[in-house]
Amino acid sequence: MKDAAPIVFVVDDDAAVRDAIRNLIASVGLRAETFGSTREFLSAQRPQSPACLVLDVRLPDVSGLEFQRELAASGVEIPIVFITGHGDIPMTVQAMKAGAVEFLTKPFRGQELLDAIHEAIARDRAAWEKRAQNADVRARHDSLTPREKEVMNLVVTGLLNKQIAAELGTSELTIKTHRGRVMEKMGADSVAALVRMAEKLKSSEPKG
Amino acid sequence: MPNASGSGKQLPLVWHFGLAVAMVGAALVLTRALQSTVAITGYIFFYAAVVAASWFGGRWPGVLAVILATLAVEYYFMPPVHSFAVREESVPVFIEFAASSVVISWFSSWRKQAESALRRARNELQMRVEERTAELRQTNQQLVAEIAERQRAEEAYREAQAELARVSRMSALGVLAASISHEVNQPLAAVVTNADACAMWLASDPPNLDEVRAGVDSIAREGTRASDVVRRIRAMFTKAAPERASVQINDLIREAGGLLHAEIVKNGVELELELDEGLPETLADRVQLQQVLVNLVQNGIEAMSTVADRPKRLVIRTETTPAGEILVAVRDSGVGIEAKDQKRIFNAFFTTKAQGMGMGLSISHSIIEAHGGRLWARSNGDHGATLEFTLAARPTTAS
Repeated sequence: MKDAAPIVFVVDDDAAVRDAIRNLIASVGLRAETFGSTREFLSAQRPQSPACLVLDVRLPDVSGLEFQRELAASGVEIPIVFITGHGDIPMTVQAMKAGAVEFLTKPFRGQELLDAIHEAIARDRAAWEKRAQNADVRARHDSLTPREKEVMNLVVTGLLNKQIAAELGTSELTIKTHRGRVMEKMGADSVAALVRMAEKLKSSEPKG
Repeated sequence: MPNASGSGKQLPLVWHFGLAVAMVGAALVLTRALQSTVAITGYIFFYAAVVAASWFGGRWPGVLAVILATLAVEYYFMPPVHSFAVREESVPVFIEFAASSVVISWFSSWRKQAESALRRARNELQMRVEERTAELRQTNQQLVAEIAERQRAEEAYREAQAELARVSRMSALGVLAASISHEVNQPLAAVVTNADACAMWLASDPPNLDEVRAGVDSIAREGTRASDVVRRIRAMFTKAAPERASVQINDLIREAGGLLHAEIVKNGVELELELDEGLPETLADRVQLQQVLVNLVQNGIEAMSTVADRPKRLVIRTETTPAGEILVAVRDSGVGIEAKDQKRIFNAFFTTKAQGMGMGLSISHSIIEAHGGRLWARSNGDHGATLEFTLAARPTTAS
């Protein structure tokens, strides 16, 4: 998945600008998909690959800044490069605070846009990797029995087997066996690795 | 004194009766004393005593005086003297005296009462007049304060309005500028992006000439589009044909003076009109020409805003040139125009003022040019500058 060819989505209501950007992106061998409105973009099938969004601020249906908020609210994580015909500082600040990669004022140089796109794709790729790792860890965690999960939770707090056995009211030998199974199933080669996994699980928990 | 608790100013009643007794006593003494030396007829002193007692004492002391006088006259002067007996022949005289005494006593006390009532009424009236005068004075002071307050409020209101007008002009221009820059930047973005894409395609190995060709086509197309936008904006501002009508420019100048009266007064400017009453009319768009005059006057006022060492004089002069053209000159005693700015003052967005937009003279210049006239500026010999423009006189139709 993470090795799939990246895609640049372009949303601009001006066909000439859209085509010029597509042309520019194609000239560096990237794939571009262009849309005239945010609605078109939302209804399009988005392939599972690293991507970024080149978004015009002034759009017919909804302003680019508002669309940025909507995407964030609906949990869509895609790095955004803003382009605008008439930008001002408050607008730029707002966009950057909300996590935009870059805010370019038209007319911009091709290289500026390409740099921003590369940066955005790199960010998205990193995000993909993180998400993939998290998914892997979660799948492994799901394969643990309830007892093993209990043991893992106590192991990562730094307790010794003896202490865990006392906590759960069982023998040290049993805990030792459970512990071995947990390490094996999670694919952890050390307690430190297990702690890192537990952290990942915790951090990815709220988003499910 | 048991009656001393009476009102402070008036003597107690007992004194009034005492006065009556004293008066009658005095009359008796006087009459007796003078009876033998001077031939006095009648009882003049007794009458006087009754009048005085009634006047100063009031009704009842008067009555007492009448009784005492009657008794005294009867006892001392009516025969038989030193006896209260009355002889038959003396009865009419006695009755006459008693009746006269009663009448004059009543009349005297009545006059006295009437007079004091009148005095009381007069005092009361005077007091009321004073009260009312004080009230009126206070009301007047309040009114003066209210008027001053109102004037301040009006002044503040006018200032706020002027500021609002300026801000709305500025923001309207801001919105317009945003819209224009968006319209123009759109095709420019396509041009620049396409040009950069073409450079990329040329740099690839082998160069992708098909893509380059498509890009170059697009550049030409978008360049044309940008120039179309600019042309459209220009067309929007230069309306096809301005309304032309016969205009007497002297009237417009007077109107402009009226329109800016408040501003002229506020800035302490003396406006002088030296108008050529024989000035011919011109064919012009009245509103646009008025705009020019207002702009020039405002410009003059602003040029003098920092002047403190000489009178702020703004002179508007009209004349007919030897060539038959109309010449309007607006002369100020302001800061003048620096030589380096002489050419630039008519450029859009050129301004030397902190608050200015640099549109006034630029707009005026294009209006005058559109009317086939000329607008120029020159520095005065002493202080300030003169802005002058010419317009063609309306051709006179022989009728």
